[in-house]
Amino acid sequence: MKVVATYNIKGGVGKTSAAVNLAALAARDGLRTLLWDLDPQGAASFLFRVRPKVRGGGRKLVRGRSDVADVLRGTDVEGLDLLPADFSYRHMDLVLDESGKPTRRLRKVLAPLGEHYDLAVLDCPPSISLVSESVFDAADALLVPLIPSTLTLRTFEQLADFVDAEVDRQPDIVAFFSMVDQRKRLHREVVETLPDGRDDIVATAIPAATEVELMGVERSPVVVHAPRSRAARAYADLWAELRARLDV
Amino acid sequence: MPLDVPSYSFALPEGVEPPTLVSFLAERFDIVAEPGAPLTYAVVDTADRRLRAAGLDLALELGRNERTLVLRERGSAGPVSARAGRRKRWLVGDLPAGPMRDRLAPVVEMRALLPLAHVQVDVQSLAVRNADLKTVVRMRLATHAALDTGGSPVPLAPRLGVTGVLGYPKPLARVVAALSTEAGLVDAPAGPADEAIAASGGDPAGVRTKVQVELRPDQRTDKAAVAVLRDLAGMVEANLPGTLADLDTEFLHDLRVAVRRSRTVLRELAGAFPGEPLKQQRDTLKWVQAFTGPTRDLDVQLLEWDHLLSAVPAERHAALAPVRTLLERRRAGALRLLKAELRGPAYRQGWAAYRAFLDGDLGPARERPDAKRPLAEVAGRRIRKVYARMVEMGAAIDADSPADHLHELRKRGKELRYLLELFGGLWPSGVVKPMVRTLKGLQDVLGTHQDREVQSGHLRDLADELATQVGGPPALLVLGVLVDQLDAEQRTARDQFADRFADFAAPRQRKLVARTFVP
Repeated sequence: MKVVATYNIKGGVGKTSAAVNLAALAARDGLRTLLWDLDPQGAASFLFRVRPKVRGGGRKLVRGRSDVADVLRGTDVEGLDLLPADFSYRHMDLVLDESGKPTRRLRKVLAPLGEHYDLAVLDCPPSISLVSESVFDAADALLVPLIPSTLTLRTFEQLADFVDAEVDRQPDIVAFFSMVDQRKRLHREVVETLPDGRDDIVATAIPAATEVELMGVERSPVVVHAPRSRAARAYADLWAELRARLDV
Repeated sequence: MPLDVPSYSFALPEGVEPPTLVSFLAERFDIVAEPGAPLTYAVVDTADRRLRAAGLDLALELGRNERTLVLRERGSAGPVSARAGRRKRWLVGDLPAGPMRDRLAPVVEMRALLPLAHVQVDVQSLAVRNADLKTVVRMRLATHAALDTGGSPVPLAPRLGVTGVLGYPKPLARVVAALSTEAGLVDAPAGPADEAIAASGGDPAGVRTKVQVELRPDQRTDKAAVAVLRDLAGMVEANLPGTLADLDTEFLHDLRVAVRRSRTVLRELAGAFPGEPLKQQRDTLKWVQAFTGPTRDLDVQLLEWDHLLSAVPAERHAALAPVRTLLERRRAGALRLLKAELRGPAYRQGWAAYRAFLDGDLGPARERPDAKRPLAEVAGRRIRKVYARMVEMGAAIDADSPADHLHELRKRGKELRYLLELFGGLWPSGVVKPMVRTLKGLQDVLGTHQDREVQSGHLRDLADELATQVGGPPALLVLGVLVDQLDAEQRTARDQFADRFADFAAPRQRKLVARTFVP
């Protein structure tokens, strides 16, 4: 099972949108896919109409004292299951801190699911904490949405430096431009110039689009409710690039 | 850690139409129905239904512009698809590299995947939702029609597939209870593939290789023998079209096995048949066996090609391409002759006469000494005799014995094996099974010994022709390595012979045979 985590230290940059759409596309491609909603706000769970509640609570799950199989929920996308959010995840840092080898805990929770899934997508809360360190340890790839701005590259490189310095098991770090507004000159310029031959920023950019915002109303990924939209096509391209990198 | 989601398959009873069922469900559950999607597909499997036996369903879905192979595994996640291309049959090597080929290769082996029946289906997807409008049960309501040989649709029973959603067992239980208790739906015993094949005039079990005739120890030998021979004749006929179309190597193999088994029955139970007509039929079958032999020998050589190549370093494999090409050319030539014989008047008349022999009057029983004797007595006597003869022949084989002696022993071994396969069920399995096991062990080494003899001969025969081919001289150099490899394998087989024969002819087994198959 390959593990991809959508991650950014900032909120509102398109992590959840990327996680749910890529997970849905992976399942459509026939991969047995798991989406773990690690954000206590539970946006991904909400989008799939699954109650953000983990039986027995997040603490027991993370400490390996409840059976992860019991808390999984199938989604409306065939082949895609969800490990829902739980409000108790807001204390996950503390729970991890109380555990032995905290940065390896999430990998341990995922381990028994390896035989059942081809891909796990982790939708992470915005922070830099023990939770994110544990995510870095569990992930084969970190997928980082970047909103085009002058500070974009600096933030991304800080993350790369941190992972390089602090994480034993190095994930592949892959960035993509998110919420790109072609009407803004700055967005256009950054998207055109920044990749500049770098292999850690993929070619596909996800546009800022109404269909993406409507996911909360439709309560489904944009690739499901508006599969022909520009945003859905962009997610499909992003998935194709990511799939090739992951070799799944 | 199990993550299984239960699924059910129901057949709609007569009188319950799909729209009625949808209304029934809509009255009880929050249902979202998607419009039906018509689809035409072919049920694809090997002739002997290997995929069915392995719990796999393969369909060739015929879209407007593309043909797609879709593999579903019972109890597994979503389907796996692959482009089909425009083919009438697929050997493993014809499938695109990927998960489908990886999954199918060990099941299919050397057999061809063939379209066995064509089905028109209209599938309506239904979702049961909970109070959050989330799908908690999925259903697929399928209306099928198989296309008969004339292309006319033959309606099959509509089916409803019901699948749970992980984490929502209660709604599934409610739906299943409503369907089975209130609507009276019954479990669909098998997929529509079987029904479609039956509706198209085929046998859902596939082309058999095992005789299915109920035999009793006290049965008249002539009646039992004829029943077995008719079943075997059916197998010859069932494998004939696939042999002529050269769909895969196993049609010819199975045809030849059925012929050889028939020859065993005619030879070993000869006393149940009238003398002169019997001789004619044995000659016919012997002739069939002979003219089908060269193609089969070359098939074996080509099937074992990869194994043979393993004796040569990978970088020299390319040099052997002309050898393979020559073998394939020879095989094509042998097949042309075989087809000409099978399509010719001699075969047609010979086979018709053989069938008439099986279906006709065998004449007065007094002229056929074993005709009325109990089957167990006659077959048992033969098993005992063939076994004893093999023990005698094997004991006489030593390091200096010519290869022919081993080949003769192998031929006897085949007789014994077929006798045990066809009639062994009349005796306790505690006696027959060890006998079959040790016989198989012996036959394996004798088979390898003989096959290597033949293959080595084929390769040596190629030398002259090869020398004149483009790329021939380098191939000749590597050919020597292959011949050495075959000779080495033949020697190994010969070295193993003594041990295998000792097992087969062990005093305990000899006593058991003498005690069980009483004359």
